[in-house]
Amino acid sequence: MEKLPQIGLPARILGLVLAILLAGLGAGFGFVQGMAVQVVILSAIATLALTVWAWRYVIGQFVETETIVADGPSPLRQAWMQYRWPLIGLALVLAAFLLLSLSIPGFFNIWNVLSLIILLAILVLTRTLGRQFQQNRSAFIGIMVLAGLFSVGSMNIEGFASGNNIKSMLLFASFLGIASIGQTLVALLGGLDLSIPFIIGGANVGLLYLIGLGVPPWLATIIVLLIGTIFGVINGLLSYRLQGQALIVTLGTGFAISGGVQIVTSIGSAYSGNVFGTVPPWLANISAMNGTTFGLPFPPVILVWALIALILIVGLRTTVYGRYLYALGVNRTSASRVMISEMRYWVIMYALSGFFAALTGGLLLGWSGGGFIGVGDQYLFLTLAAVVVGGTSLLGGAGGYGFTVIGVLVLQVLSSFLVGIGLDFKWQQFIFGLLILPMVALYARSPHIRTQI
Amino acid sequence: MSLPVTPQETPGAESAIVKVAEQGGRSNPFLLMPITLFFALLSIAVLRTPSLMTPSGIGAAIIVVTPLILATYTLMASTISGRGTVDLSVGPLIGFINVTMIQLHAGGVLENPIPVFLYCMAVGAAYQFIFALIVIFVRVQPIIVSLSGYLALSGINLVILPRPGGVAPPFMAEWGYGTSIFSPVLVILVLATVAWLLFTATAFYTHLRLMGSDERAAYTSGVPITIVRIGAHLISGCFAGLASICFTALISSGDPSQGTTYTLIAVTALVLGGASLAGGRGGVFGSALGALNLYMITFVLSSFNFGSVQSFVTNLAYGAILVISLLLTLLIPVIQRHIRNFSPLLYFVSLGVVVFGIALHATFDYTSLGEAPAYLPGPMDMQAALTKPLEIATLTPQTLALKAQAVPFVFFTILLAVLAVFLRLAFAQANRRSLGPAVAVVVAALVLGGAWVMHEGVSVPGTEAVR
Repeated sequence: MEKLPQIGLPARILGLVLAILLAGLGAGFGFVQGMAVQVVILSAIATLALTVWAWRYVIGQFVETETIVADGPSPLRQAWMQYRWPLIGLALVLAAFLLLSLSIPGFFNIWNVLSLIILLAILVLTRTLGRQFQQNRSAFIGIMVLAGLFSVGSMNIEGFASGNNIKSMLLFASFLGIASIGQTLVALLGGLDLSIPFIIGGANVGLLYLIGLGVPPWLATIIVLLIGTIFGVINGLLSYRLQGQALIVTLGTGFAISGGVQIVTSIGSAYSGNVFGTVPPWLANISAMNGTTFGLPFPPVILVWALIALILIVGLRTTVYGRYLYALGVNRTSASRVMISEMRYWVIMYALSGFFAALTGGLLLGWSGGGFIGVGDQYLFLTLAAVVVGGTSLLGGAGGYGFTVIGVLVLQVLSSFLVGIGLDFKWQQFIFGLLILPMVALYARSPHIRTQI
Repeated sequence: MSLPVTPQETPGAESAIVKVAEQGGRSNPFLLMPITLFFALLSIAVLRTPSLMTPSGIGAAIIVVTPLILATYTLMASTISGRGTVDLSVGPLIGFINVTMIQLHAGGVLENPIPVFLYCMAVGAAYQFIFALIVIFVRVQPIIVSLSGYLALSGINLVILPRPGGVAPPFMAEWGYGTSIFSPVLVILVLATVAWLLFTATAFYTHLRLMGSDERAAYTSGVPITIVRIGAHLISGCFAGLASICFTALISSGDPSQGTTYTLIAVTALVLGGASLAGGRGGVFGSALGALNLYMITFVLSSFNFGSVQSFVTNLAYGAILVISLLLTLLIPVIQRHIRNFSPLLYFVSLGVVVFGIALHATFDYTSLGEAPAYLPGPMDMQAALTKPLEIATLTPQTLALKAQAVPFVFFTILLAVLAVFLRLAFAQANRRSLGPAVAVVVAALVLGGAWVMHEGVSVPGTEAVR
């Protein structure tokens, strides 16, 4: 971070004043035009934050770059050599836009032009500013993509920035977010947990089954969470013992858990694999769209997710447990030399993973109201995608839950955006697949083999 | 920053690898588990369902299991190249080739076998080529590339063919019947296996294994790692094309989502076959056995009637067997301490003899020897429940007499086995590591014995054991 350009105090104050002015101007126009309050507030905050950032870094860069000495090829050629690929990319994007607007009638309107400008601005900003960040580049890029997607979405799609849509996006994001906790923690150690979707499905069915048996719902929840944790402990022990096989071990236990739960729940039941029962109102309230938190109109699961995220982010950064976790992920040999019990951390992290997977299963039961073993299936690769898009390395030791939160939000906003422009599930999946690669390639490239020797 | 999973990380794996290196490539103790499992499952399957051992039974099994085996080969070829390349996109890739082939055929483009084969293998190879280029030049972890490919391909498959349907090219219409053993699908499988075995004789394969076990060492010793990686992926792509052809022959139509399920099964089969997901270890023998094992698990479980929970029991068994067989690989260093030169081939042959005997026992028509077996109705007792699967028919005194006459034959077999062990010991004493002669003796004895039994059986029925 010492390479960060510094600007003087007056310049900073000037930037802040400018930002506030711009934000106020935007808000004023918004109110005059009678737009929704959420849109106005969000755009004002976005304007403020972006302006302050831009001022801080862009101006700073210009201040610093005065010392360039021109020798060798001419400055123009130098600039061309340096920015060859970004310029070609820009030209390609512009050409694609031109082609689209020429071929599709009605494509060339003000909103699409604005979207294009925002897209280009994000590309340029990530190229120029991304390299200022040594540590948190992925978070920066993630936030930029998030801001861009959100602004483009709210301009192009009716009701994208409405309170209801934001609420539903946050609701689904919190399911994915809670499911991804385990994956993040395990990835920090250098492992993988593919049993998460199966535990989610098992908990979903098992909880309803227990409630249907007449067990009090609170007790049933505790039992399910406990069983999830025990499965996690088993996963941890197995993957610690079978080093490097975490992918396949957790997949195996996942199969076994999913099969076992279904066998247990279908004993004495005429409907194989289908469980019927009544979800208690408090559980439904926790994760339903129309749930309320202490009288406020949003489902409590969002609050739960926010609290867990806060605890995890702070805990991973400051507590000795968190630091030990990173130490183990970076270099397990040196970590065990300083008396960090490797096995304990593997078991604890996998246990937490099982716990949160079971929790997600329970919460999804509250959301859907019916048990279904396949409810977690989409989380098999989505949790992985959220972790890698956020920027946690699957090799261990780099990243954190904060990154995963950004990854989850990016995936969720992207998915809402794609739904909004009328693409169905298959196209969403296709675009997800195509986007994961460049996003990861922006920050998670490993060095060339010749630098590793 | 190091490779995803370097084998040096655990003491057990390290010692195992050192041992393997000492003994050369012939002795692969990781095949111990799949071979044992295969024969255990096979004997149970034959005892439970003797009809498996008919031409149509074997033919049907081959039709069903070949796409799976080829999918596992696809995975194997790229997994050997190291860096933790577990190609999760293999299932959707098979589906992609399947649906595009069906749609192109519907458009009247692909009619003849040769264009179809070329098209499938070219598409598979092209995809894997792009995969390799991304891994090499963008330098993203392969598992992320494959995750990306999984999502993108399984999405586009549904776009190309929204629901199962379409017709396969007419020349493969009869391939999927599985009424005889020697179907074109078997030919494809054998050709693919032989191609890989020929490939293992090349220097390129040695480079590939070196790169998979230690990429840095390969680079510093001058192996062109870029070309080797691309080559491995191209081979993998060709296998994917073949897998997709067999898959199409199996279902005789297009299916956008069925192929996707092959991903998890193929990864499981690969690991069950003793390959290392970290790279550098794996082969067609193990992969085929792994895939066969998975098929046998389903087959054996389907012969027990679990009613409505059938698929759940199958899931449970998949998971449990996978985890247990992984745990048992931890025993391999212990086993190796006692058995220095484990030969998978000898082990395979000797277990094969035993299971062949079981298969003969299960499928042999004892009723032709004597009276029809008396079926004893009555309350089920524990003894009968335990022994019933092992007994096909009650034996008449006549048969028992025949059995008594067969004693010299059994004696002869034991003598042969003793001879083999003796030869084996003699070769070991002579400080030779080759087991070839001993295996050859056993195989020759088997063939001779089998021919003799058949000959006797044809000419004079009922007097097979007379010497």
